[in-house]
Order: sequence, then structure tokens, then C-alpha cells
Amino acid sequence: MRFRTHLKNTRTFSKLTASLSSLGKVCWMRLEYDVVRFTIIPDQGTQVWAQIPVSTIFDEESYQIESNSDAINIEINVAVLNRALRSTFGASSSQLRLTKKDKMPLLALTVLTTEWTEGNMALATDEEQSGQSDVVGDRRARERETWITQEIPIKILHESAVEGLHEPHCPDPDVHIILPGLAQLKSISDRFTKLASTEKGRQAGVVANDAPSASAGAGATALSTNSAPKLELSANMHGKLRLAIATDELRIASVWSGLVNPPLDPAHITQEQYSQLPSERMRGVGDNDESGWAKVRIDGKDWSRVLSVGRLSPKVVACFINEMALVLYVYLPGSWNGEESCLTYYINSFTT
Amino acid sequence: MSSLTLSLAPPALVRLHDVLICLSKFSDTVAIEAEHDLLRLSALNSTKTAFASFVCEKEVFFETYAFNVRKDIRSSSGSTAGDRFYCQILLKTLLSVFRGRVDRNKDTAVERCDMELQEDPQETECRLTIKMICGLGVIKSYKLTYEPASIQHAVFDKGRATNQWTADPRFLKQIIEHFSLSAEQLDIYSDSGKAVFTSFTTKIMDGKEVLKYPVHTSVAADKRDFEEIQIEDNMHIAINLKDFKAVVAHAETANATVTARYTQPCKPLQLAYDFEGVNAEFTIMTRGEVEGETAPASSRVGMPQLSQRHTPAPISLNRMNTPRGATPNTQMLPPPPRSRSIRPLNGSSTQEHLAPTAVSDRPSASSVSMDYDSLFVPADDDRQWDEMDEQEEPQDILGWDASGRQDNSEPTLQEAEPDFPKIADTRRRPPKDEMGVPPTQRMSQVWEPSRVGRVQLTLSRFEGLVSSIENVSSQCFRSFRSVRSVY
Repeated sequence: MRFRTHLKNTRTFSKLTASLSSLGKVCWMRLEYDVVRFTIIPDQGTQVWAQIPVSTIFDEESYQIESNSDAINIEINVAVLNRALRSTFGASSSQLRLTKKDKMPLLALTVLTTEWTEGNMALATDEEQSGQSDVVGDRRARERETWITQEIPIKILHESAVEGLHEPHCPDPDVHIILPGLAQLKSISDRFTKLASTEKGRQAGVVANDAPSASAGAGATALSTNSAPKLELSANMHGKLRLAIATDELRIASVWSGLVNPPLDPAHITQEQYSQLPSERMRGVGDNDESGWAKVRIDGKDWSRVLSVGRLSPKVVACFINEMALVLYVYLPGSWNGEESCLTYYINSFTT
Repeated sequence: MSSLTLSLAPPALVRLHDVLICLSKFSDTVAIEAEHDLLRLSALNSTKTAFASFVCEKEVFFETYAFNVRKDIRSSSGSTAGDRFYCQILLKTLLSVFRGRVDRNKDTAVERCDMELQEDPQETECRLTIKMICGLGVIKSYKLTYEPASIQHAVFDKGRATNQWTADPRFLKQIIEHFSLSAEQLDIYSDSGKAVFTSFTTKIMDGKEVLKYPVHTSVAADKRDFEEIQIEDNMHIAINLKDFKAVVAHAETANATVTARYTQPCKPLQLAYDFEGVNAEFTIMTRGEVEGETAPASSRVGMPQLSQRHTPAPISLNRMNTPRGATPNTQMLPPPPRSRSIRPLNGSSTQEHLAPTAVSDRPSASSVSMDYDSLFVPADDDRQWDEMDEQEEPQDILGWDASGRQDNSEPTLQEAEPDFPKIADTRRRPPKDEMGVPPTQRMSQVWEPSRVGRVQLTLSRFEGLVSSIENVSSQCFRSFRSVRSVY
């Protein structure tokens, strides 16, 4: 079993790991020939399945992988990986490889940083050091080289250990819409959550606009022991997104309009199927008709963690499955057409 | 009766605050010692593995400084010895006085700080008065309680340090920034043109929680990045990373280049720098034993002069022979070089274990204990009882000097603290005179049964203590404590 590669776009890699680590520390990293997959399935809250083409974060030329099962499955603390990747900032070369030390598997990150030094690390010494040993205390301007090695403990997962892990299956979405800028969405969401948290204990989590629909609880999971405020997020097929929170004391809502409801890829779907999609039915409902809205209730804090992926400035398509789940397809910049670099977030809706 | 009055200009006030912050990373209390021409602030950490000291010079650091002492009267609370006065104060309270005092944007910014301390046996209260003379005629006064203290200094002989480097704190900080926040130890060694800093953690982990194992980070810097570096190749020396961080952080604020001096593992390391009339010195105990999995395997190669370097320090013998009643101060002593002199304390019940052969049942102690693969080391390292090599023998053990003088070789406080100076004294001399035991003799031959019995008795307590601290302390620091608890 071998894995070795040079890194490129370490900023992207670092931001990716930072976003992932907000959801959970234990990450299943699957190295394949063309793609690298990162999966985090926390005990509670949102799970994320990411698929990144090798060339997005690794240097394809140097990417080497050897395994009996055509893939290497690693369990890694993604927060630790993220911390280690900080050493790569400004580095002239960074290499990641699978290795072993005392029978412990490791992911070793080796970084060479060269930076131009103005010739002295001295603070106030101006006197000439010429004639001194040329190894020590060189005052001349030169490239300064530093090697950094980060050895991250990992667990190698056997193929059989990951066989049972699959992405969740979801019904076709009722509404799919491109989210507005995540920075804005996050700051508003966070403010709503904070407002509702201040009156914790009394907040009812009841929805602002709608009477609780009869279909509530149909397929929604009940992690309702969580007392954190629940945001209500809803959207329709006419480019509108609504973020709302309601407690006994307050009801607030923000509405975005003019957003895009992206068309589905016609390659994957026939015309006949297309017309039967729930989203097409929803599109048929009038803009002002509440029944044209699909909504989910999500945990404010969990949502905030999900939105931390905004640091990658991605495009995000949100798929609403009414009262059941919200699936986010997060496309990294540069991969919009290829659709290869994609993080998929599965967020369950809470029942009222 | 002694009195101390001093005043500080705002820049010095900021410096003092920085110093106190740095000291607070070592201990809860600061020891204050006043002498005629200097004021020393120091702190010793709870495990007694790190000692931080700042000496502020009268002429440079202070606006005014006056210290008077009348020797003829015994002091009431704080201690006056010779021509010194010393006491200790809780850092938390002292820090709160200085926090945020120099804000030039405010009308009421501090313009001067006066401190006064009067010790009078007639007074029952021990008070340090601090007055902040602020703008607009505002004067803020604080009265802090101080406590008497027996103050000790780590002894470190710069002249004997064989390894030395000097570096810009910003450069050191760049190195530190690569380390994981949870890393506990820092290993330093050099290999050809590189100086390698490795952070590691000696936490004992459950085998299943692989992902919680600490990350090892090593940073190999070009030796030319140091202003000066003269260190033995491949000799690993490990210190507490937290201490190192504290020193570097403060050196950076003081804009002073840091010099490190040391001899070998398990001997103290000193980090020192000067700035604006302040001399900062940090004496930190080092670890030498680097577990095979935590560091490059070169640790054994690193000791080319095993036979000489591993002669035990005289203090270890001396301490074992010190009658118990005479040792109230020896509990302040740091441990001897660990692998060997600690041996008799590790739960063995028979006298034979005190014999040097017992060392061999712990072969894993790599760098300090003998390298049994080496051709040059006999299986029975009886040589540890040999006569000291003149050059190696007065090693720079982390000893304690209550006299408070930087350079003195003769303690002067015999009257005030009869026990300790004697011990400190013996430790810095060849052992022949003081020990009463010819160094060529085996321990088993000298120890009286009664004394052995006493050691055994305390061992059971010792073991309990060891197990209770096992998780928090690295092995080396554990041995530090063991010495304290046994004696």
C-alpha cells in the first residue's frame, strides 16, 4: 500500500479541511486514482460527503497510489490535518505520503519553506561578522530554507470496514435553488440564532408563516432533544428563499428573491420523468402561493457549521425536500462545469 | 527593618507588566528580592523543573530606587538576610494592578508608578504599596499583602555549558507556530547543518484511540538562521514546550535575542537575554530519554563519550547519604540525572537493587543509560562509582542557591539558613570531602541497614504518588517529584 503526492492549492486543501472539521473530527478519507473522497458522519447533525478530483488539491504528476483494492481508506482527525496544513502556507514544496513508524500508520506531511531573509535575524547587531565560521551566523541576504515534518496518526480502514457506508438516499427535491452568498446568509442566520438563544427555554420552535403542515413527521427525523433554536429555511421554484425563526416572543424572516432555480442535467433524466418531478410541480404553483414553498427546520448552530464551507467561496445548490431534509451540493470554484469537486451536505429537518 | 521605595516610568511599567505575565506562566506567585543595586523577580514552577528570573538593574530600569536595611533587627515576616529583603506576592493580584495601566490615549494615563515597601517588626501587616500617579491629578493606590518566603535560585554555571545557540525570538516563534497546540515537549538536536526542533507528547494513549495520538512536528532550520550556534551533533535534549513558548513570547515583546546554554540531557538548560536594564534567565530542566517511537533513533549515537558523561553527579550520592532530618531544604532539589540515581527508588526492595548492575534491567532508557551495543561500555557499568573525571564532574545540576547571588561560589547565608547552603555547597565541589564515602565504593557497601529500611518505608508512599501523577507528568518530571516525595 503506497500513497505519495505533492500538494498544490494548499490553501484550498486547508480551507476544505477547516470546513469539514467543523462538522466532526473523525473523517474517512478515501484515496482513489482520480478522486479523493472525504466523508464525515457525526453521531448527530449534518453529514458531509465530499468528492474532490485529485488535481484539485494534489499534483497529478506526482500522485502515486498503490493498493489491492484500488483505493486507500484512511481514518484521520481532520482537525489535526487542518492544523498541520497550516505549515504549508507560503511553502515552496509540500509532500504528503503514507508511512509507518513503529507499526503505527502515519500520514507524513513534509514541507520545505524557502523565504528570503534580509540577511540577518539579528535585531540590533550591525557589526560585521566576516571572518567568522561560514556555517554559523551568516548575515548575508540569502534564501532561508526550513524543513517541516508533520506526522499525523491515522487508521487504515480495510475495504470491508467501509463497504457498508453509503450516501443517504433522498427523494427527488421539491425545490432546488442556488443559495445567495454564504457570508451574508451565515451572518443573518447567526444573528437569528443568537436572538432566539437569548430567550432559551421558552422558545417554542414554532413556525412563523405556516400552520404546521399535516405531512410533518412523515419522514423527518426527530433529534428534537436538541434545545438549540431551530431555523426555518424555505424556498420556492420562483427564485425565492426565506430564512425565518420564531419563538414565543419574536418572529423574524428574511426573504431573498431573484435567485436561480437551476435546471437539472437533461442527460440524466428523460423529458417524461422531468415533467413528473416534484420540483416541476412546485414550479407550476404560483409565486405567491404558500403551497409552492418547501421548507425544513434546521438547528441554528449546525447550520452555522455547515455554512462555514463559505470560506471556499463555492456555489451552492440547495435541494429542499419538504419537511424532511435539505441537501446542499457545494461546488468549489473552478469545478462548476465539471461538477467534479463537490461536497454534499445532508441536513435532516426537525419536526415541529 | 528594611524599606524599599522605587518608581517607574511608563515604559518600564509596561516592561514590568510583560515580565509579570511571563512569570505567571511559571507560577502563581512571584518572589521579590531587593538588594542595593537591583530588584529580582523570580518564579519557580510547581514541579520545580523551571525557574524564571528577571533581574532589574537599579540604574537603568528604575527612575528612582532606594533600598535600606537595618541588619540588627530580626525581620518579622518577610525575610531579611544579609543585605537583602525578600518576599513573595500572588501574581494574580499584582497583575491586576498593572493591567492596562499605560494607555496614552486616556487623560488619566499613568505618568509614574511609585512602589513602597516598609517592613517593620512592629507592624503585623505586610503591605506593598503601589501608587499610580495618573493624569489630571488622579492617584490610584493599592496595598498588596506579601508573604514571607524562602527563596531559592536555580544554579546554572554558564561557563560549563558546552552547547550554546543564540537566535531571534521571531525566528523561534516561527518554529513554534508549526507545533500543534496540544504538544507538550520540545526536542532539540542538530544534524549536520540543521538544527531540528521536534514537538511531541508523551501522553500514554489507549491503543484504540489512534486518532487522538499527538502529532509529531519537526522543524529543521538551517543553522545559519541562528545568530550563533555551537551544539553537539545528534544530541537530543528535550524541554517543556510550554516553558519554551513562554520565554519566546516574552523575548519577542522585549525584542531581545535569546541565548540557550546547556551541556547534555537531564542537565538544566538556560535561556537568557537582556533588555533595557533587565536580565532575564530561565533555567529549565531537560529530558534526555527520548522514546524510540517519539524521536529519531539517533539518540544513542549522540553520546560519544558515554563513559565520561555518564558518571553520576556527586549530588546523587550525597543526597542518598543525607540524613533525613537535615533535609528540609533538599526537597527543593531537583532530581539527579534520572536513570541511574533514581534507581534505588523505583520500588526495589533489596539492597542489591541499589547496586549499579540493576541498571541493566532497564535497557530502554536509551540516551542516558548505557548503550549496551557499544563496544566501549562494559556490561556492568561499575565505573559510575569511579573517581570523577575532573572535567566532567562538577556538572551543572539544577541546584538551588538561597544566597541569591548570581556568581558566588560560596554561599553566604549560613546563619540564616544553615541547612541549605551546606548542601548547595557540597554539590558544587568534588564529592570526596563531603560525602564521607569514597566514590569507588559500591553503594551496597556503605549503606547501613537502618537507612535502607527507611528508604523502603517511604517507597510505598512514593509509588502511590507516582501512580497518581503518572498521567500528567512525563517520566522525567515524575522523577523530579519522586525525589521530593521521598525526602
